[in-house]
Amino acid sequence: MPEASSLPRPPAAGRIKAALTVALFAALFVLAFRQTGFNFQALFSGTADFFRFFGRLVPDWSALPQIWPPLIQTIQIAYVATIVGSLLAMPIVFLASSNTSTDPVTLWIARTLLTVLRSIPDLLWAALFVAVLGLGALPGVVALVFFTMGVLAKLGSETVEAIDPGPLEALRAAGAGRNRTIVFAVVPQVAATMVSYILYVFEINVRASVVIGLVGAGGIGQLLLRYLNFFDYTGVAAIIVVIFAVVLLIDGFSVWARSKLI
Amino acid sequence: MAHIRFNDVEVVYRTGLKALKGVTLEIPRGQFVVVVGLSGAGKSTLIRTVNSLVVPTKGSVTVNDVNVTASRGGALRRARSDIGMIFQTFNLVKRSSVLRNVLAGRLGDLPAWRGVLGAFPREDVAYAHDCLARVGIPEKAFVRADALSGGQQQRVGIARALAQKPSVMLADEPVASLDPPTSHAVMSDLKRIAREDGITTIVNLHFIDMARDYADRIIGMRDGVVVFDGTPDEATDAVFEEIYGRPLESKDLRGA
Amino acid sequence: MVNAPRIPSDVPRPPAHVRRNRVLMIAGVVLLVALFVLALVTMNLPTWQRFVNGMQRNFWPLMRGLVRPETEVFGLAWRSMSETFFMAILGTALGALLAFPISFFAAGNLLGGTRWALPGKALLVAIRTFPELVLAIIFVAAAGPGPTAGIMAMGIHSIGYLGKVFSDVIEGIDQGPMEAIRAAGGNQLHTFLYSVVPQVLPEFASHVLYRFEINLRAATVLGMVGAGGIGLPLIQRLQFRRWDEVSMLLIVIVGFIIVVDAVSSRVRNRLV
Repeated sequence: MPEASSLPRPPAAGRIKAALTVALFAALFVLAFRQTGFNFQALFSGTADFFRFFGRLVPDWSALPQIWPPLIQTIQIAYVATIVGSLLAMPIVFLASSNTSTDPVTLWIARTLLTVLRSIPDLLWAALFVAVLGLGALPGVVALVFFTMGVLAKLGSETVEAIDPGPLEALRAAGAGRNRTIVFAVVPQVAATMVSYILYVFEINVRASVVIGLVGAGGIGQLLLRYLNFFDYTGVAAIIVVIFAVVLLIDGFSVWARSKLI
Repeated sequence: MAHIRFNDVEVVYRTGLKALKGVTLEIPRGQFVVVVGLSGAGKSTLIRTVNSLVVPTKGSVTVNDVNVTASRGGALRRARSDIGMIFQTFNLVKRSSVLRNVLAGRLGDLPAWRGVLGAFPREDVAYAHDCLARVGIPEKAFVRADALSGGQQQRVGIARALAQKPSVMLADEPVASLDPPTSHAVMSDLKRIAREDGITTIVNLHFIDMARDYADRIIGMRDGVVVFDGTPDEATDAVFEEIYGRPLESKDLRGA
Repeated sequence: MVNAPRIPSDVPRPPAHVRRNRVLMIAGVVLLVALFVLALVTMNLPTWQRFVNGMQRNFWPLMRGLVRPETEVFGLAWRSMSETFFMAILGTALGALLAFPISFFAAGNLLGGTRWALPGKALLVAIRTFPELVLAIIFVAAAGPGPTAGIMAMGIHSIGYLGKVFSDVIEGIDQGPMEAIRAAGGNQLHTFLYSVVPQVLPEFASHVLYRFEINLRAATVLGMVGAGGIGLPLIQRLQFRRWDEVSMLLIVIVGFIIVVDAVSSRVRNRLV
């Protein structure tokens, strides 16, 4: 048996890297606690308050007649935005994929546009367009159109870049131009996946269109905000339950439809 | 005196499959036993009853006169820590370092708090390095397990079993995932270490030539029953055809 | 026998299932379009005129602002964005800490059967479905405005996603190493610590990072309901249509998120 002191030690590089990682995370967390003023006391008292508050959320079902119209509007916003956004996203999908784009400059522009689109969250789009276009469903639709484009074009271009290049080459060899190559070699390969992504985005959009109303972009969120401002917690509770049910229903439908597709 | 004793061991799986139909065997200390048979003959089940990974539905297995089958909880874990095991698919934690994988073999003898904190005593760490040296890969201690070749990974598996300081070694098809030269290298390592430390070893194999090359004793199984028990010299091709229930084929040989 | 000359109508008709699929597809598209038109008509969207007016009044000032943002609010933007960043870190960490134990109760292979995992899985779906912003509003109402409300909303909401992906990872682990630890005389805890945890940890870390990217976006808007971060200064300026200042905030938000995304996805690629 070797002397205890002569035990081999792990390589220095690994040890230094581990130490640096730990130090970095420690520093980040110390800074985070300081900057946000977050502490565990607040966490526990906050949790207690939360549950006390939750106890008051007893649904008042007489609010239902008031809930249906904006709820339907919420779903309409999500539906219209998904369709328009998906259509607008298609050209970007092909321009932002290295194997179907026209030239490097266009590719770069399309990708940068995508990166910017994707970095803006749904609610920020909504707040922005409420300021530009005024309250109502219109800014909601426009906001979700942009949001849809960001999400879908990213997913789509990843799919397009992953396709089998064989058919593309075959069509090019047969003398087909770029557009025809896309229609006959790319679209058939990605169509099912794209439809499944569109369903997925619709799912996300339903959730998003619930909350964008909170900044005035139409739908059920706007009613929720009004109830909250009037401290009508039984109405709030009814809306929450309804939202819950609708989101579950649409998620379930979307998951089912997507499982049929692939 | 028998080191390992199978007393009329019967295993019926929940699916109703009868994997062992009353096996009685005595294996003396230090013997290198190779169990042969087709897949489904009950080889894997047989060696798993030794450390109670599969619990016999009837009969019992004793190791060192301790009834492993009747042991539970702490007693079972103590019994297992005396029995090393190596696997066809190595069963290493691929993302952990080689050393950590080998140290896992020391867990059975460790006080609970040390195991939880991963605070292995210096002697254990030193011993783990020794085990790696004995299987010929001392320089791989701090490499991640998934960076090794198949043969090297199986050597780590052997080192992990050795780290338990076992008196019994079980090997379930240890070379089935390896190429012929590596298979021979791994088998000779296993045999050499068993000789040096006087470890009683049971190896499952389906290659006839390897069984003859390495075994002190060959046990043939078919449909959950021992159909042959003898020396390699006695295990002629005719005997193997009887065990396998069919003419021999080229895939029954590992080759050189 | 002489072959009759082929006339165009002789082209074989596609088999029944192909024709049926074609009909179904056309019907589907018609349905989608009909629903679309119906939605547009019944939604009482404002007139086209209002859209144009709004664009004319506010779009160009916004564009001008983007070209020449108000540099004086850069300090404020930077400070509130870093607060947002740290909120996302704490919210994600809180979510990961809470999701870790729950995920083991939503993993069928550790509980000995899928049906034992159902309550855990249902809980995770319920949490996922609950909108984060509504949680934030409740926390603000219950515990007062500020970053803590936002962190807690993110923390709770993240459990839904993280718990789900964690339990998926656990269900996909290799059982072999677990058997090896048991064979070596390890107990349940040893099996967990030496074979489950090292297998799942890198993938857990990668999912946590991904969730952090999502939470950073979420954290930028939580301030709009008073739950801390850059959302509050942003919505104030949006309400008064101070486009040059809005632009500065937007640029900081977008820039920050793009940089953090790039770093985070790099690290994720190296983890798994």
